[in-house]
Amino acid sequence: MAPKDDPEKPERFSVTRRSFLKTAGLSSLAAGVTGVAEAEAQTAGARVVGPGDVPVTLTVNGRRVDLRIEPRVTLLDALRTRADLTGNKRVCDRGTCGACTMIVDGRAVYSCSTLAIESQGKQIRTVEGLSTGANLHPVQQAFCDADALMCGFCTPGFVMASVALHEKHPNPTLEQIKRGLDGNICRCGTFTRIIEANQKVRGVARA
Amino acid sequence: MKAFAYVNPTNEKDAVGALGTERGKFLPLAGGQDLLARMKDYVAQPDRLVNVKGALDATIAATPDGGLKIGAAVRIADLAEHAQVARLYPAIAKAAGEVGTPQIRNQGTVGGNINQRPRCWYFRNEEFLCYKKGGNRCFAPAGENQFHAIFGNGPTHIVHPSSVAVPAVAYGAKFRLVSPRGERIVDASEYFTMPTLQNVQSENVLAPDELFTHIILPAPGNVKTGHYEVRYKQSHDWPIAFATVVLTMNGSNIGSARVVMGAVAPVPWRAQAAEQALAGKPIDERSAAAAAEAALQGARPMSQNGYKVQVAKTAVKRAVLQAGGIRTV
Amino acid sequence: MPNFFQGGGRGQQPVEPAPAKYMWPEKDKATLLTTDVKRLDGPDKVAGRARYTYDINRPGMLYGKIVRSPHAHARIVSIDSSAAAKAPGVKAVMNVKEPGAEVMYQGDPVVALAADNEEHAWDAMRLVDVKYDTLPHVATVEQSMAPDAPQAFSGGNTKQGNAEENGTPEDGFKQAAHVVEATYATHVITHNCLETHGTACEWDGDKLTAWVSTQAVHGTKDGFARGLNIPAANVRVITQYMGGGFGSKFGPDSQGIICAKLAKQANAPVKLMLDRKEEHLDTGNRPSATAHIRAGVTSDGKLCAYDAQSWGTGGNSQTSNFPLPYIYNFPNRRRVHKDVYINAGNQRAMRAPGHPQGCFCTEILMDELADRVKMDPVAFRIKNLPDKAPNAMWGEYFEIGAKAFGWEKRHPTGDPTPGPIKNGYGCSAHRWGGGGSGTRAHVDIAADGSVVVKCGTQDLGTGTRTIVALVAAETLGLPVSAIHPEIGDTEYPQSGGSGGSTTAASVSPAIRVTCGKALDALAEKVGPALGVDPTTLVASNGRIQVKDNPSKGMAWKDACKLLGTTPISVDGQWMGGLSSTGTSGVQFSEVDVDMETGIVRIKRILTVQDCGLIIDKLLTESQTYGGIVGSISFALYEDRILDRVTGQMVNPNMEFYMMSGPSDVPKIDIMLMDRPDQRSRGVIGIGEPPTVSTAAAIANAVRNATGVTIRSLPLTPAKILQAIEQEKAGGTL
Repeated sequence: MAPKDDPEKPERFSVTRRSFLKTAGLSSLAAGVTGVAEAEAQTAGARVVGPGDVPVTLTVNGRRVDLRIEPRVTLLDALRTRADLTGNKRVCDRGTCGACTMIVDGRAVYSCSTLAIESQGKQIRTVEGLSTGANLHPVQQAFCDADALMCGFCTPGFVMASVALHEKHPNPTLEQIKRGLDGNICRCGTFTRIIEANQKVRGVARA
Repeated sequence: MKAFAYVNPTNEKDAVGALGTERGKFLPLAGGQDLLARMKDYVAQPDRLVNVKGALDATIAATPDGGLKIGAAVRIADLAEHAQVARLYPAIAKAAGEVGTPQIRNQGTVGGNINQRPRCWYFRNEEFLCYKKGGNRCFAPAGENQFHAIFGNGPTHIVHPSSVAVPAVAYGAKFRLVSPRGERIVDASEYFTMPTLQNVQSENVLAPDELFTHIILPAPGNVKTGHYEVRYKQSHDWPIAFATVVLTMNGSNIGSARVVMGAVAPVPWRAQAAEQALAGKPIDERSAAAAAEAALQGARPMSQNGYKVQVAKTAVKRAVLQAGGIRTV
Repeated sequence: MPNFFQGGGRGQQPVEPAPAKYMWPEKDKATLLTTDVKRLDGPDKVAGRARYTYDINRPGMLYGKIVRSPHAHARIVSIDSSAAAKAPGVKAVMNVKEPGAEVMYQGDPVVALAADNEEHAWDAMRLVDVKYDTLPHVATVEQSMAPDAPQAFSGGNTKQGNAEENGTPEDGFKQAAHVVEATYATHVITHNCLETHGTACEWDGDKLTAWVSTQAVHGTKDGFARGLNIPAANVRVITQYMGGGFGSKFGPDSQGIICAKLAKQANAPVKLMLDRKEEHLDTGNRPSATAHIRAGVTSDGKLCAYDAQSWGTGGNSQTSNFPLPYIYNFPNRRRVHKDVYINAGNQRAMRAPGHPQGCFCTEILMDELADRVKMDPVAFRIKNLPDKAPNAMWGEYFEIGAKAFGWEKRHPTGDPTPGPIKNGYGCSAHRWGGGGSGTRAHVDIAADGSVVVKCGTQDLGTGTRTIVALVAAETLGLPVSAIHPEIGDTEYPQSGGSGGSTTAASVSPAIRVTCGKALDALAEKVGPALGVDPTTLVASNGRIQVKDNPSKGMAWKDACKLLGTTPISVDGQWMGGLSSTGTSGVQFSEVDVDMETGIVRIKRILTVQDCGLIIDKLLTESQTYGGIVGSISFALYEDRILDRVTGQMVNPNMEFYMMSGPSDVPKIDIMLMDRPDQRSRGVIGIGEPPTVSTAAAIANAVRNATGVTIRSLPLTPAKILQAIEQEKAGGTL
């Protein structure tokens, strides 16, 4: 009765040179799939794309991710559902809880309130990019040591917000820690330990 | 959200050219912290989004007269931490620093903050077809109005949501707008509109094919500034009431004052009676309290929001005292 | 769904006690119990590797969505989903209700569909055309109880309960030197789990695999079987990680059954996760509670009479009952409760069901009565407690806590300090059941020394996975890292749902017994190899050896080599003597209140809490912090607000449904009673007790600070400023 594939090893979006060349060729075709509005905007000098699928290329954790998605797909949904990067979570989907926090061009942002298409050309970091194998990022290690998590659903967002905080203020004061994390909510109520974890982080360089 | 076409112009002219004349059909996308949420709730259903972040000015520059010109694409986080802004217009830096959360400040822009739509929960829930969505009523008077306006008489009772707008008005800012018809400069105090049945679907004078491009601040002069916000939650909350007070001094007394309140009316609310009460007075507990009382003259609280009157009074009083360097609490 | 209602926990039937050798070790003999053992799944969670139901991506998976009633009360006239069925990417559409059916609340499910991606699913939802005839509705308890209320419910808008009586209130009031008569109230809040409810369903022929965000894998499996009318043996439920339940996730619910049916119709896997708005509307809530109470106290401070009418809403068809009075001895008492229905989503058990309400409605009254007789609130409470017992330790805990808190610095009601900021102290008490039974487990020990412990329990963030490994390691004399715990799958032995704070007390004895049996089996091999009687062998420090004689022993790995090609494979189950029920605790709070804005800032919370034998101190503290933070939100911020005219929720989000954030959390001091008298009670459970009484302690601190009594939650600035105004006019004290 076991499912066909091991759920712990789902399909991974793979980036190949072939797909890169393919999408480079396709980008000029994208102009053909837009409608009347595009013709109007062409005269204004800026190209309108969509509303159907368009090629979107993102740089995520240093790797290139090629997608074909509609302009309306958020950065969060694009990575979670088309690139199987499910570390960051969708919780409120309205930019109020921080579970979707990623670091884009060095700043913590709500990826649910950012379009994938407008994130092209930026350095996107998700929680998956912080650790390699068993080696955890100092912030991640501090969270584990302080038991700064329970169900863990808010944790990737808090970790990313904490990383952004430490990269800006390597030895943050208590006030800076609270302010830096005020964009994140935990329903299990682990704030006390999240703050303790942040006070114990060592070894994060200013970005 | 509804599917939309997307364009990412690189200059002001192309950005304006990508908008249209029908309200709500082609919308500018700045930080997205307001617009995308409204679109997910189908309160906004544009056919096209125009990403203006690469087209509008993202710098803060000195003006020849000793003021500052702030581009609409400047991020709120950068506005809050800008040394010149903090030095010349501390209330703007303070207001920007208290917007939302770090993530919102990182994404949100000056133009977006000024032009964001109200937080009113009737406006933001599709089920309530209110005036602002083309309906024929406002649900607040008979409903849950604890966060609604204490000034004004309808037809809508929203409070203007922008933090930065209030000190902008207090410092006498002007806004630069650009459309196919050219450029116009509008006083901040005239940009925001009290609601009428005709203008109710907007909160300001910006036309659908017009872009907000700059806040232009005059040289501040020799002023003392106070800015006080009252929030229930400390972590992430909208203010219950707040006030910016800019005092032009005449020796040790106040020469003239500008007192502007936020979160109490559909527009940043100039409290002229408070300004008159302060003129010629020293900055002390008595004048601050008198200004606070005067500021709330004419308040018309609704069934659930009478408490806002007291909170707003406190915000004005403490902003005045802060301007005088007097410890508040 | 289990009823965790009045005091939680499953009653313990007279069951066989575990053999003496399986009893918990004394503190000085234990190696891991009650120490700080780090959460085993911490690394996977912080690294984003942990896969929750929301993260499941199956090949060919579709996305399910539900179209719900926008109206508080209506009859469905017609459903036309033909346009939706033809929309791009749509692979399945079904009616959840049929024309003619009644919808009873905003959010009641009507139609469901599945499409190849979420964007297509959202577009298709907009094409579903449902026509309703709206019906009279009630949005508030007051509307529902009004004499001219529309009759919105077939059995009537209200349901009166029976009186609970003890003694004779009339006589009691004759003894009273002081009487307080007032109305106390708490409000509806929603669970607001960060991971919304939902499931991913995949059929293989007539076998269903469902990844579910649930607190009860086995119970949910049974729920799918019943809801789909298929054999339970055909259902497998998997929950390796889940993002919070708080009592609301015990079965497949409507969305699970719908998801399974969509997957059947589409012949493809379907993932259906609720969005934030649906989560608020249709996944349960804590019922409201209002109590009009008249209570009397003698001149020397003894409670002597109590008469209460209470009511509340549990939604459109569920109860709102709660224990009242709470904790203290009110002889001569009568209490009657009435359920009031409104057109809103039904309640579900929410972390310590009933107790936060009963506690709040009692503890403010206690401070008011204490003031009448001019007694210190702690001394007054101690004077009116039930007899001391292992599960009734408040007298001692109040003394311990008061001392640690600096209670002697408390000023009488109303901070006399000049200035707008007033400071105050408050206290409260709580109890909870816990305890557990029934869990089964399986242990495999292989010849290479590896140990796999399987149990069909689940880890909500409560640390169950770690507890399983810890107890196994303690029993087998191994480090925690040597144990592989396997949970969260109905392929593993039966265990109950994680509710009532029963998991630790249900699971850890089962692990203890099963590992004990596995060790016995290993000893059977080691004994002959060492030439000793197997019953003299113990597991200690990575060795199997004769008790107190390490030289007569061998290392774990060598012992396991003796297994050869016959690994140990042992089934076991919960047995008595390792757990019990009944916890008690007290809390203290210090607040500052700004009298000019009504803003409350909590400065400190302190709790004195027992929970029997503490398995993992680190995790127990985390649970305690979490419960307290939840109660802070209950006291000050969160509120399920319905528009009083339309009955629709105005704040179904996380913007105006407000919860504590990092800057809102005060200093929290936890004093866990790790003492011989508590250890000897075995494992009890900690999930719920800490969340019961914080709100009451905060409210009492606000009263102490401001000098005005606010008798309802949440303690908003509006309420506080209004109370101050009233006090100036005529008094609420």
